[in-house]
Amino acid sequence: MGFGLQVVKCRNVYQWKDSRQRQPRNLYMSVLMLFIAIITFVNSDCVINETLPVSKEECDGIVESSQQVHFEFSSKVINNEYIVAFNGYHSSASRANFIAAALNPFSSSGWKIVDRQNLAADYPSDFDLLRIPQQIEVDGLSALRNHPLIKRVTPQRQVFRTLKYINESNSDEFKEFRRFTGRSSLSLGNTFWHSTGRYSSRRLLRAIPRQITSVLQADALWNMGFTGAGVKVAVFDTGLAKSHPHFRKIRERSNWTNEKTFEDGLGHGTFVAGLIASSKQCLGFAPDSELHIFRVFTNNQVSYTSWFLDAFNYAILKKIDVLNLSIGGPDFMDQPFIDKVWELTANNVIMVSAIGNDGPLYGTLNNPADQMDVIGVGGINFEDQIARFSSRGMTTWELPGGYGRVKPDIVTYGSAVRGSSIQGGCRSLSGTSVASPVVAGAITLLASGVIQSGGVVNPASVKQSLMASARRLPGVNMFEQGHGKLDLVRAYHLLSNYRPHVSLSPSYIDLTECQYMWPYCTQPAYHDGMPIIVNVTILNGMGVTGRIVDKPTWHPYTPQYGEYLHLALTFSDLLWPWSGFLAVSISVSSEAAQWEGLAQGHVTFTVESPPGEGEDEPRRSTVNLPIKVRVVATPPRAKRILWDQFHNLRYPPGYFPRDNLRMKNDPLDWNGDHIHTNFKDMYQHLRSSGYYIEVLGWPFTCFDARNYGALLIVDPEEEFFPEETLKLRNDVEELGLSLIIMADWYNTTVMKKVKFYDENTRQWWMPDTGGANIPALNDLLTYWGIVLGDRIWEGEFMLGGHNMYFASGTTLSRFPADGVKVWRSLKDQGQEVLEGELTGGTELVAVMGFYQTPPRSPGRIVVYGDSNCADNSHMQKDCFWMLDAVLDYAVTGGEVPLAFQENPDGSDLELSNGGSPPKRMEGNQLHRYSKVLESSGQLDSAQPQARPLPSCPQPVFSVPSPLNKSAPTNLYQSQKLLSVSIDSSLPILPVQDRLLHNPFQALSSLDVDQMADDLPSGYRLQSDWSVSTKFALTIMTLAALVLFYQFYRNRNRPRRTRKSPRLKRVGVPSPNLSPTIKAPSV
Amino acid sequence: MLTAVVLRFLRSKLFLTAIFFASFTYFVVNFYSDNSNVLLSNEEVDIHDVGSGRRPLGHIFQWQGSEDNNETSSKPSSCRNSVQGKALIADDKGYVCSRQNVMPNGCCKAETDGTKHYSCETCHNNGCCSIYEYCISCCLQPDKKEVLQDVLGKAAGTLNLLLTSVTDHFELCLTKCRTSSQSVQHENSYRNPRAKHCYGEAPPPLETEGTVDKNNNEHFLH
Repeated sequence: MGFGLQVVKCRNVYQWKDSRQRQPRNLYMSVLMLFIAIITFVNSDCVINETLPVSKEECDGIVESSQQVHFEFSSKVINNEYIVAFNGYHSSASRANFIAAALNPFSSSGWKIVDRQNLAADYPSDFDLLRIPQQIEVDGLSALRNHPLIKRVTPQRQVFRTLKYINESNSDEFKEFRRFTGRSSLSLGNTFWHSTGRYSSRRLLRAIPRQITSVLQADALWNMGFTGAGVKVAVFDTGLAKSHPHFRKIRERSNWTNEKTFEDGLGHGTFVAGLIASSKQCLGFAPDSELHIFRVFTNNQVSYTSWFLDAFNYAILKKIDVLNLSIGGPDFMDQPFIDKVWELTANNVIMVSAIGNDGPLYGTLNNPADQMDVIGVGGINFEDQIARFSSRGMTTWELPGGYGRVKPDIVTYGSAVRGSSIQGGCRSLSGTSVASPVVAGAITLLASGVIQSGGVVNPASVKQSLMASARRLPGVNMFEQGHGKLDLVRAYHLLSNYRPHVSLSPSYIDLTECQYMWPYCTQPAYHDGMPIIVNVTILNGMGVTGRIVDKPTWHPYTPQYGEYLHLALTFSDLLWPWSGFLAVSISVSSEAAQWEGLAQGHVTFTVESPPGEGEDEPRRSTVNLPIKVRVVATPPRAKRILWDQFHNLRYPPGYFPRDNLRMKNDPLDWNGDHIHTNFKDMYQHLRSSGYYIEVLGWPFTCFDARNYGALLIVDPEEEFFPEETLKLRNDVEELGLSLIIMADWYNTTVMKKVKFYDENTRQWWMPDTGGANIPALNDLLTYWGIVLGDRIWEGEFMLGGHNMYFASGTTLSRFPADGVKVWRSLKDQGQEVLEGELTGGTELVAVMGFYQTPPRSPGRIVVYGDSNCADNSHMQKDCFWMLDAVLDYAVTGGEVPLAFQENPDGSDLELSNGGSPPKRMEGNQLHRYSKVLESSGQLDSAQPQARPLPSCPQPVFSVPSPLNKSAPTNLYQSQKLLSVSIDSSLPILPVQDRLLHNPFQALSSLDVDQMADDLPSGYRLQSDWSVSTKFALTIMTLAALVLFYQFYRNRNRPRRTRKSPRLKRVGVPSPNLSPTIKAPSV
Repeated sequence: MLTAVVLRFLRSKLFLTAIFFASFTYFVVNFYSDNSNVLLSNEEVDIHDVGSGRRPLGHIFQWQGSEDNNETSSKPSSCRNSVQGKALIADDKGYVCSRQNVMPNGCCKAETDGTKHYSCETCHNNGCCSIYEYCISCCLQPDKKEVLQDVLGKAAGTLNLLLTSVTDHFELCLTKCRTSSQSVQHENSYRNPRAKHCYGEAPPPLETEGTVDKNNNEHFLH
């Protein structure tokens, strides 16, 4: 807490309800207060005003963690407006006089005191707002400053604030403990938020919605009588206490860990289960659902695939309907686990999983949420911004040859959400762990409603309905928000009217639509470029299996130049379970090489599934995929850069270590190393510098060097085919292709040092390369006399007026004499890693080299020893400016920029400091994961050799069948699946007795802000039947007692001859009519 | 003087009444809240903690005999089946058929070509099969009863937890043939990716080094 503005309101009436389950003393006091309140009819609103440093808990009587609105502001100076501050307070008239006196020489120039129309205007003030015309600004201001009563004159500023909710610490918040390769629970510890500036800046405390269920309008479905009854929900988590007061129907608990307990020792499982099914205080969505608690995580957050396999089998056996997995890990190649998740959805289990907490970095999706058949949920805050922690797409399974799918599928509140705590109260927690059960609970509630009305509930129909009904957040791309924010009520309408069909994610391809279609919208298509691939997920609600009938057909629209597009379509042979893919590769025909404009058309296909229950004919559904592409004339060679994706290897499958050795808590290189994942900022920068960047997902033999100015090889872990080396030599020397290489560290001793014991596979993990595969790079470059060394360097230096940070990198150990080398002083990080401390000082090493290949060709080679400055993963200082300069040198044929020629004294040293060229580590297992190497024999000791060079992909363009029609310019129709009736209010069926009906519950359209300010309504929603019954009983008892007391008094004091009419007012429990009883309240 | 006033106040009926009311209300509320908790736990909550390791009493295990699937029950009213398959479905009578040949009642069309009864296709002698549906069918053979009784008796750990919840022969085959904690080595890979569905007691035999390498195999196929 700190000082800050706090506006908290509460009423005693509600305070009682909330606190009564806390402790008897509180209860006693509250009841007493309630009693008094009723007697006196004093509606004692407790209002804590702005400046009091009181937390709202003191008013609520709730002990809980609090949330804060992190308050960022920027300001700009408003021209010609100044704040004139006086010594002391004066009335507005005298202030005007002072200013007039000071500005006397400029009386005709039109200065003006700006009226401040607020209540304070009637009182003396110590400042005025003054607007001064530009021509007298300088003189006028100095005149003002010279006036004896004027203290100072400062420019008026306009302040812009953005509010961000921050989860303030919670004393029992458990630590985020990431096991690197295993799965971990996806909630956030408080350490996450310990970013800079939090304690120094001003903060605003604002009320946060009390009930997540109210924000998502679960009340609307409750009022229809749906509460999750009859739906089996499984919570795979850290367990749950048997007697937790929030839960009505815990059907079963099972323990799959090696700890002999069913109880939750962490609070994670309780919180998650609470969001789904809590019936008290902090409400869950489906309080009457049947909870099946699966304990698969120990208190130390350990879990194994084998535990999950057996537990999942049990879930299938028990015919679970909805399964929440607030867990995830980076290993999407854990085949037994992946197969099992498919098996679950194939058995009609609706899987909901958290997308991961590794944002805002891209390429950080967690498994199993990244699977097509699973509903992957991302997190937003209560201001509808994607939560910083929420993992971003794309999926990286498809790299290097393909392109990732859109994930997450949907987002919902995951930041500072209140839920059940382990002790029985409420707490708040952040993380996609939180967002996932919100969706799982919502699905449970939906399912209980739809099953009653005979609707279709299966993993695909639910996913389709959630995605089609989600509300898109403006300005956020699909790899962050998926289809948008969960809308429970719309989803209910869709699902209750659901007819089995096929739908697509994304449902259309509009490559011009920014921000939603980022990154596609950032670079147009052109002839000769690498095909643009859009990986569309097909969801088939008709059955667990399906097949695309014939082939998808491409219908270009003749009036809209569709024929300029060539489409190659690849797709799943079999859609199982409930899903498949359709990869659309878009190329531009040679006729459009000089054409600019929009080209449109659509792809259509039919899916067939076996007949459903009681049907004879197979089910069929046809779906259209509209396509819109911006085409430009092929850019000149100098503007085209090729990014080598083929030679990037990552975790999983193998242990590819981090590129920055300091990042000990994130040992793996797992973000895909793609320009749209962890090299996203670099891509954006190069695009804004006017370069067109294409991705090469195949060997170097698969591109035409005459099209490209430069080939970017950044942080390659893969080996190179001998054919590639030869081809590249020719490309550089004959065809003038330039090479830009950003290498990374490689040292076998350090590699052995960074081995670790993996808890999940119970094996020691030894890296198969260093940060980059330097021996392979040296093989590629030795022809030109360029060799990189095996020593690892770190340090900061200045280069071209910029601060540079060399995180963990290699340096030149040989370089052609006529090349330009950049020398800087760096520390030997390898030694530091090995010995634990740095003993030596800095040494001068060549961090960078520029080389012009022999004169008859313009091909140039630039080598830099470190890739961290271009990689978002652990970036400290970016070096995009350097890339600009290097690219400029590489593609235009100018001189080496002067910035790189300012070397410190003592340059022209021997390159021996760089170390010797590293040898490949003995016994490394790279061939297991490599696309280039294979083991030559049965024995591991045999030298691996290169595989035969794979053939390059030859796109098979689908035969176009043109249509003479036009598509609308805007392909996205947010409301297209919704009828008009949806925004009308829901029918309110007789309310179940257990749900307290009150006007606040029927809120048909409430937005978050309203909810936030409308605290009392949130309070009322916490009531449940037992509280209301007790409330009524208590009032009745009190009334009876009061009447008894009055009767007693009247009998004992016959002198007061009050007539009986008083006694007849039995039915009105209005104790305040008795004046004497009022006394205790005074 | 002051003490007298205080004492008088303390003795006043008003004060005593207030105390009485407060205490009484406290009692009433407490009584009701305790009471309702008891009611709640008795009526609503019947939590079953799984993990005793023994089959719950009263559950009689239904073995599938060899006699009841002949002419007498040639027209079963409905079948349970394996639900999940990509192309194949196994029903609880031991038939395996393609998805197209599943009748609306869940049973395989027995007469159709391609439908097999008690088929052990793709299964090895050790009780492990490559295809799940054939594993079920094979496991439902009446003569597999002894093997399965061993399985039920000897399973340990979490697998035992799973198998004690199974109530009949079909459920046992359905469950035992799934990949489980027995199927993996190093947690994230199969012991034998080509024969991972086992109805027998023994885990799938480890594949020999070299053939485990998935990437290599894939590449050979290209």
